[in-house]
Order: sequence, then structure tokens, then C-alpha cells
Amino acid sequence: MHWVNWVIVVVYVLYVVVDGIRKSKGTDSLAGFFVANKSLSWWVVGLSVMATQLSAITMIGTPGQGATDGIRFVQFYFGLPIAMVILGVTLVPFLHGSGVFTAYEYLEKRFDSKTRSLTAFLFLLSRGMSAGTIIAAPGVVLSAIFGIPLVWAVALIGIPTVIYTMVGGVQAVAWADVKQMVLIVFAMLAIMAVLLIQMPVAPDDALRIAGATGRLQAFDFSFDLSETYTFWGGIIGGTFLMLSYFGTDQSQVQRYLTARSVDEARSSLLVSAYWKIPLQALILLVGVGVFMYYQFVRPPLLFNPAHEEAVVDARSDAYGALQERYDEVFTLRSAAALEAADAPDQATESAAMQEFLDREAEIQGIRTEALAMAEEVTGRDSRDVNYIIPRFALSELPIGLAGIFIAGVLAAAMSSISSELNSLATTSIIDFYRRWVRPDATDAHYLLVSKGATVFWGLFACIVATYAATLGSLIEVVNRFGSFFYGSILGVFLLAMIPGARGRGAFFGLIAGMSLVAYFTFQVPSVAFLWHNVIGAVTVVAVGLLLSMGGEPDDASPASGGAAAGTVD
Amino acid sequence: MRNDPPPNKAEARARFRRTLFRVLAVQVVALALLAALQLRYGL
Repeated sequence: MHWVNWVIVVVYVLYVVVDGIRKSKGTDSLAGFFVANKSLSWWVVGLSVMATQLSAITMIGTPGQGATDGIRFVQFYFGLPIAMVILGVTLVPFLHGSGVFTAYEYLEKRFDSKTRSLTAFLFLLSRGMSAGTIIAAPGVVLSAIFGIPLVWAVALIGIPTVIYTMVGGVQAVAWADVKQMVLIVFAMLAIMAVLLIQMPVAPDDALRIAGATGRLQAFDFSFDLSETYTFWGGIIGGTFLMLSYFGTDQSQVQRYLTARSVDEARSSLLVSAYWKIPLQALILLVGVGVFMYYQFVRPPLLFNPAHEEAVVDARSDAYGALQERYDEVFTLRSAAALEAADAPDQATESAAMQEFLDREAEIQGIRTEALAMAEEVTGRDSRDVNYIIPRFALSELPIGLAGIFIAGVLAAAMSSISSELNSLATTSIIDFYRRWVRPDATDAHYLLVSKGATVFWGLFACIVATYAATLGSLIEVVNRFGSFFYGSILGVFLLAMIPGARGRGAFFGLIAGMSLVAYFTFQVPSVAFLWHNVIGAVTVVAVGLLLSMGGEPDDASPASGGAAAGTVD
Repeated sequence: MRNDPPPNKAEARARFRRTLFRVLAVQVVALALLAALQLRYGL
């Protein structure tokens, strides 16, 4: 990478750390460290919510998906605006108004300590693991692209994030998120602009060619439970997933607990509802644009440079022959694409398009052979969807812009990880340490152990990241981790809003929900994971209500030991 | 650390309603554009 790009990356990393430390003012109390004394404006919280959800996986994996599979992934987010509106009138007033530090703390107020502890434990388990995969995604890619050990790449992302999260708490995290969000959107818009300028054919022709390959099919209305990305999966399964993620996951709940009022918390969620689908569509279209660009500029046969090097070393002749075939077919495909774009009449266009599609299928066949060869040589999953955009950025973007893209990837990773570390520390301290270990310690003591917990979770995430690197499609891994518990936890919170529900029902309902999701995961794998959220939530509510019938009302137990819930207000 | 004075309740609710309306409008436009893209260029 050019030194100018490196300077941009280094300046960005230093700025994030210094700015995070500057933003630590006012975080010398537990309420300051965990909920910024409920002082943040709705737009700060709103951008923080978005930045938390938009990880590096979105920056590199989603455009990669757009390039290989088209824009149908956008359906995954169709439920998000619906979920945000529902949350704005249901869970947000409950959680913000009850003056808690964590969502799970509220469950003890409503039900009992064991329901609180179980949900908090599930959060720590799933988020602890996902924090690792969120560092791993950019870590693996940066390591392969720059030829540096994975541990260094993980450290480059992890260490600055831990520093500003530990020093500045949620306030530093939220303000860093705002700037990181701006950087991410700028990087994406800049890539789109470059693609439009450098594309050898007119945008209309490019879209026609991309459309012929099926990459512009945004909607799939089939009601197929085995298909992950369909309109109904997005609307129904996606709504449940988003309700659970934004309504019960501490990494998101903690964002809007920092808002100044319930109404500002609601408005902050609407920022995501507003921008998520257009932004996601833009990111996927960047991927489609890169796919189109590579119709005219020859891309590498293997996008992962580490795998490419390994295959060239180990199977020089076989790979060389494959490369030769690839070059030949690429030239033919490129010519067919140009002919289709410039065709004077419908008949010529149809013939050229058919020729293009045949060559495209041939190219995909050659790539499949190359990927199989890479898998044999390296012994690792060779899918390279996450490498397409970084390779494009470094080889095709002008000097400076490539640096901004890499800084954007780091920003996306840091904004998600910082929120996760912050929320993992909060849950560890509030729901376990203060609740069960040291209920009567001072604020200063809790603050100190909270900072220690942030460092602990940072180290844990970095260690997981070095192992998660070998997992397959990282974007799906993260979503799968979430879906295993999400629906069931949402069910508990839904029960909490039903007056007749009791603690016993919530606890055993949660276990029933997770068991059924586990059954579907392992015994009925044909049901796509988005639907697990629906199954989990509905089971918890049904079983919970059944077990609550005729039971004694729960004791109105105090929420937690030590500083009672409500401290923040 | 307050950045600017907190708005009153009525003002905040009015803003929430306005934003909600805009959210719905933006989603309709976004979905319509995606549908147009699919109809014009899709299979």
C-alpha cells in the first residue's frame, strides 16, 4: 500500500484513541461510564446505534455478497424499520423509564433474579463470541492483504478500541461511533463515485448486464422456509431478529439508555429505521458495481492473495493452466459485454448477452476449480467473497481513497467492537459482580472493575478472533450466533409486557424456546436461521403464559443489590 | 455532559411523529426504487 494510504490509516487510529480519551470527561461515575449520565442527543445516539450494527463485516462482506450474489440480501433488513417503530412504543419506554443500566436488570424488577441472570449469561456467551468474529473478519482480510500475521491485524483493531472504550466509557464509544459512521458512509460513496467515473460503459448498460446475471433481483416473494433471503423471511423473521437485537441486546439497549429522554431514545432508533435499507442497498450496489467493473478490467482468479501465493507455490503448472484458460475466457466475456452494451438492435443485444452469460458461467466454473485447488493446498475454506472489495480498493482506487477505505474498515470494526466491549463489561459488572459478588461496594470500586472488565473482554475477543478466522462465511456466523438465542430472549421481554406473566413462566419458557431452536438448528437444518427468531419468541411467550396460569404473583423484589436500579435518574 | 438544552415533551413527541412519517416515506421510496430496478433490469 502507498505510504500516503498508510499515513491516513495511522492518523485515523491515533485520532480515535486521542479523541476517545478527550471524551472521557464526566465518566468518573458508574452512571457516566455506563449511560453517559443520560445526556446524549438523539442524533448522537442514533448514529451510534447504526455504527454499532454496521461492522467491518458489512463493509467488506456485504459488497462482496453484492458482487457475487447480487442485492437480494437487502431483504434481510426489511423488518428493521417495522421493528424500530414497534420498539419505540413498547420496550424503549419500559427500559429507559425504569432507570436501569442493563436490559436484564429490568427482568429482575419484573420477574426474578434467575431469569435476569440466565438472559444476562446468554448475552455474555453470544456477544462474547460474536465480538471475536467481528474482529476476526477484518483481521483475516487485512492479514492476507498486507501479508502480516493475523495477531498483528487483530491487535491493530483491538488495542486502540480497548483503550478508548476503557478510558472514556459509553460516551467515548458513542462519539467515536458518530465520526466512524461519517467515515464509513464517505468511503462507500467515494467508491461508488469512482466506479461510476471509471466504468467503461454507461450506467444503464452496466445495469442491464448486471441484471441479466440476476444480480438486481431485490425481491423474492416465495414463501420458502429454507431460503434465507426472501421478502417474507425479511419482513417476518427479520422483524423478530431486529426486535430482539435492538430491544434486548445490551450492546444496542445501552446506546439508547444514554439518551436524554424516552422521546429522544425513540427518535434515535428512527435514525436507523430511516437510513438502514437505503444504506444497505448502496453497499450492495457498490458490490454489483465492482462486479461490473471487473467485466472490463481483469480481476485476480483468486481474491485472497495468501491463497493465491500458496497455490502458485504448490501447484504452479496446474494453476498456470487454469490461469491461462481464465485469461482467454475473460477476454471473450469482456468482448461480449461490450458488444451487448453497444448493440444497435435487440437481436444483436440478445445474442451478445447470451454469449456473455455463457462465458460468465465458464468463468464461474474456472473460479470454482481454483477455489477447490486453494482449499486442497491450504486445507482451509477458500471462499473469498470477503476479499473482493479490499483487493479492488487497494488496486483500483486512487491514492488516498484506498487509505480512507482501509480506515473505514477499521472504523466499522472499532465502532461495533467498542459497543460490544462496553456492554459486555456493563453486564458483567451490573448483572453479576454487583448483583452476586460485591453488592455493597463504592461507585469508585465498580468503576475500576468495569474498566478491568473492558480490558478482559477485549483480550477475550482478540483471542477468539484468532480462532474464529477459520470459520466460513463470517457474516452468517455472526448472525447464526445471534439467532440461536435472540428469539427466545425477545420472548422473555415480550412476556414482561404481559401483565399476567410470572417469573416461573419466563424462566422455563426461555429454556423451552432455546431447546426448540436447538432442535430446529440440528434436526431441521432446512429451516433458514432467520425463522429461528420467530420460533424462539413464540415458544417462550406460549410456554411462559401457560406456566404462568394460576401461579402466585411474583414478589416485588428489589432489582439489584447495592445501588438500587434507578441510580441513573 | 449536556450538548444542548433538552427539548420539552410536546416538542419531542411532535418530532417523533414527524420523523416516523419521514421514515415511512423513505422506506416506501427505497422499496419502490429497488422494485423499479428489478422490473427494469431484472430477469
